[in-house]
Amino acid sequence: MKSRSMRWSAYGILGVLVFSLVRAITGSSDLTSVGTFNAALLLAIPIALAGLGGLFSERAGVVNIGLEGMMVMGTWAAGFWGYQRGPWMGIVMAVIFGTIAAAVHAVATISFGVDHVVSGVAINLIAPGIVRYLSVIVYQDSNIPGAGPTQSPSVQSIGSNGLPFLSGGHVLGWQSPDLLGSIGAKGWFFISDISRILRGLTGDVSYVTMLCLLLFPLSWYLLWRTKFGLRLRSAGEAPVAAESLGVNVYRVKYIGVLISGALAGLAGGFLAIVASSNYQEGQTGGRGFIGLAAMLFGNWRPGGLLMGSALFGFSDALQLRASDAVHSALLVIAIGFAVYAVAQWRQGRRVGGAVTLALGLGVFALFTYVKELPGPFVTMTPYVTTLVVLSLATQRLRMPAKDGVPYRKGGDS
Amino acid sequence: MNELAVELRHIVKKFPGVVANKDVSLKARRGEVHALVGENGAGKSTVMKVLYGMQRPDAGEILVDGQQVRFRTPAEAIAAGIGMVHQHFMLADNFTVLENVILGSEPTKHGRIDTAAARARILEMAAAYGLDIDPDAMVENLGVGERQRVEILKVLYRGAKILIFDEPTAVLVPQEVDELFAALQGLRAEGLSVIFISHKLDEVLRVADNVTVLRHGQTVAEVAADSVTAQDLAELMVGAELPTAPPRSTVPHERVVLSLQGITVGGQGTRDLLHDVSFEIRAGEVVGIAGVEGNGQHELIDAIIGLAPCQGTIVYNGTDISRFSVARRRDSGMGLIPEDRQREALLMGSALWENRMLGHQRSAPVARHGVLQLKAVKADAAVIMREYDVRAPGPETPAHALSGGNQQKFIVGREMSRQPSLLLASHPTRGVDVGAQAAIWEELRKARDAGMAILLISADLEELMAMSDVIKVMLRGRISGTFDPQRTTLEQLGVAMTVASA
Ligand SMILES: Nc1ncnc2c1ncn2[C@@H]1O[C@H](COP(=O)(O)OP(=O)(O)OP(=O)(O)O)[C@@H](O)[C@H]1O
Ligand SMILES: [Mg+2]
Repeated sequence: MKSRSMRWSAYGILGVLVFSLVRAITGSSDLTSVGTFNAALLLAIPIALAGLGGLFSERAGVVNIGLEGMMVMGTWAAGFWGYQRGPWMGIVMAVIFGTIAAAVHAVATISFGVDHVVSGVAINLIAPGIVRYLSVIVYQDSNIPGAGPTQSPSVQSIGSNGLPFLSGGHVLGWQSPDLLGSIGAKGWFFISDISRILRGLTGDVSYVTMLCLLLFPLSWYLLWRTKFGLRLRSAGEAPVAAESLGVNVYRVKYIGVLISGALAGLAGGFLAIVASSNYQEGQTGGRGFIGLAAMLFGNWRPGGLLMGSALFGFSDALQLRASDAVHSALLVIAIGFAVYAVAQWRQGRRVGGAVTLALGLGVFALFTYVKELPGPFVTMTPYVTTLVVLSLATQRLRMPAKDGVPYRKGGDS
Repeated sequence: MNELAVELRHIVKKFPGVVANKDVSLKARRGEVHALVGENGAGKSTVMKVLYGMQRPDAGEILVDGQQVRFRTPAEAIAAGIGMVHQHFMLADNFTVLENVILGSEPTKHGRIDTAAARARILEMAAAYGLDIDPDAMVENLGVGERQRVEILKVLYRGAKILIFDEPTAVLVPQEVDELFAALQGLRAEGLSVIFISHKLDEVLRVADNVTVLRHGQTVAEVAADSVTAQDLAELMVGAELPTAPPRSTVPHERVVLSLQGITVGGQGTRDLLHDVSFEIRAGEVVGIAGVEGNGQHELIDAIIGLAPCQGTIVYNGTDISRFSVARRRDSGMGLIPEDRQREALLMGSALWENRMLGHQRSAPVARHGVLQLKAVKADAAVIMREYDVRAPGPETPAHALSGGNQQKFIVGREMSRQPSLLLASHPTRGVDVGAQAAIWEELRKARDAGMAILLISADLEELMAMSDVIKVMLRGRISGTFDPQRTTLEQLGVAMTVASA
């Protein structure tokens, strides 16, 4: 256990070192700026929440591609109630709306045995229609400033805070010093870089973000350390066996899907209230699907999906803030490939190592010969990096054995 | 001591198109091992599932400790002290042994699963009943014998007072059977009741106090074990005599069908799963493999059929097939009866005629010029069902609706239908009744005499002795001895299976 955490810290330090190096060589300060990492956090959370939602559902054996639709419901509810009753109420209602959408999915798939994908697609198709309809009813003819059929009036923002003393957090109204921030401004190689990264992740963080981040260790604990978790996972692995041991498989599956919807709703609420300041149509932008992909490549585990989401969030932030930084990131990727190739080679995976090395050289060539990346390529980076890195990093994906298989009680084995 | 623990009165259970239980009655006392015997499809598993709350009876009464009960779910049966070890394992492959055992009755401490307590308790029970197991092993890595121990631990862990064992010995070798029976005696001594289903009649007589016989879904007799012989039981079950194997009158050909040279399959640890195995099988010869489950038998079959990457050379009918794909090997005439019928040989949710096509999807009569011949397949499935006495309504019946023995008969029929030149048979008669076993043996003998080579792996030593021309014993991935069945006793084999010959 101890050696494992030590190894991970070593990887982390190595990673930061590479970033600092590349930043120093290329001069693109955005690679390790406070702003990039702060934005990365904001961009990663909705995806990670959606992925976590997918995790709960699929661990219970129900495929949930309706996450996107459930998120849509969440964004709308957050806008409507957030504007009327304040941002916290908006978040709560987003969770409830997501749960309601999930209830539909649960009834269809668990009680009526509808194909999971069919039901999920239906939810994704219907949800945008419903929220549009609701918007037209409540906003169309109102004279509220900013309200319209495609968006809600703006919602107050939820407060934020940072670590006291380290990242300038405030304690009982007193503004503490910002140690990391001032070190970060010094321009010391590596030390300042790492300070800026930490400052970006721990300063000016919304209270909702903190809450969301807490959900990950909590979910892991719930799923892998408690009775409820064991039963939920058994519903996805061997429902017949579980039933024969007195587990109420239907109930467990229902709970899994409902939690899934609640988390997707929360992701929607986060998008509307924390990442922006009102509900806008199409705000989810496919994040439900990206979350699902992160969960898949994260091997149906909270840690894995969090890492996938973080990667996506980071490359997305970079892409949004500065395209020259994306170009510099190519160098980081090239180095990453080279390191990984060596690791593979040493494990005796010669062919894999050679392929990875070739990829790395390709990226390096791209870095040296193409000075400015075309716009669409830049927009694409988060998707491509996440895909490539995750598919290389995951050695063996193991989905729940009975994921997506309709379960009938009393069905004979 | 002699109070009734369970009584079943006139249980009726119907499935669409089949009456599984017409009129089943059974009485099991405290401190008794009660055997339930009957042909494949007689309704044994069904009536036990009724008792365990997995199936609801259409009529009849269940009494536990003299009280009438009505179980709607297994949870209720468990609460009433009933536990069941199923004929087909019900385990989550991706869970550890511990997780499988505690699922549904998890010990907790401050809301989290108390793994330490559970592990201690499992190890304690394992020691008390001689059920050797590693609580932290993943079930997917376990052999059949070990999986069964997990199933038994599951039941004991729940503190069951009435234990149902559905064909527990089908997968065990004699030593393991002895261990299991010792455990059963221990349970009996503590006043628990055991209901025990088996097709191996001598075992039944050895371990049981009383025997209930089912025929076509009806109780036809309840007898004391010490008042009957295996012959009597067989007659009660099927109205036929126990088959006796005639000695072989033909000799194997000279032509070598399969030749293995130095086959090695690596493992995760330091020890190879299969190490330097070499032997030959000639046309018309049966090579038997004896050994305790998990000593490399599975890997041997996988290596020959091409499922496990291996070192060494495999020559088949004169061609080196070491680099051939599974499809090419099968198409060149290898038949395969896998060890776990439900996981490796059948699609449980699909109709029998669809299952007929598995593994044969490229060759006649299943496919012609790459197009499936559905009519021919259905007709052929019906032929197999008739020839191998598969008792089910028809080719459209889904595989899960068949009793275990009937599933097995169908698989044997499917593999034999293409007249393979080499048959890899893992436990070909596992779970089939005495009558059907004799029939399958007869088919195998006929094919053998016509020149088919057979690699026979079996936990049933009598089967090995009766069928094989030569028996090889496997121990820790190596061939540890070669025996001539004519000049070997069961005891000698048993010793060779557990102790390495110096
Ligand atoms: N779920 C089901 N649906 C339809 N038919 C079934 C179902 N389960 C069992 N049957 C039928 O009920 C009959 C009795 O089956 P059962 O499994 O009880 O036999 P068994 O005595 O255990 O046989 P075996 O020794 O082969 O295991 C069989 O004809 C079988 O086809
Ligand atoms: Mg049975």
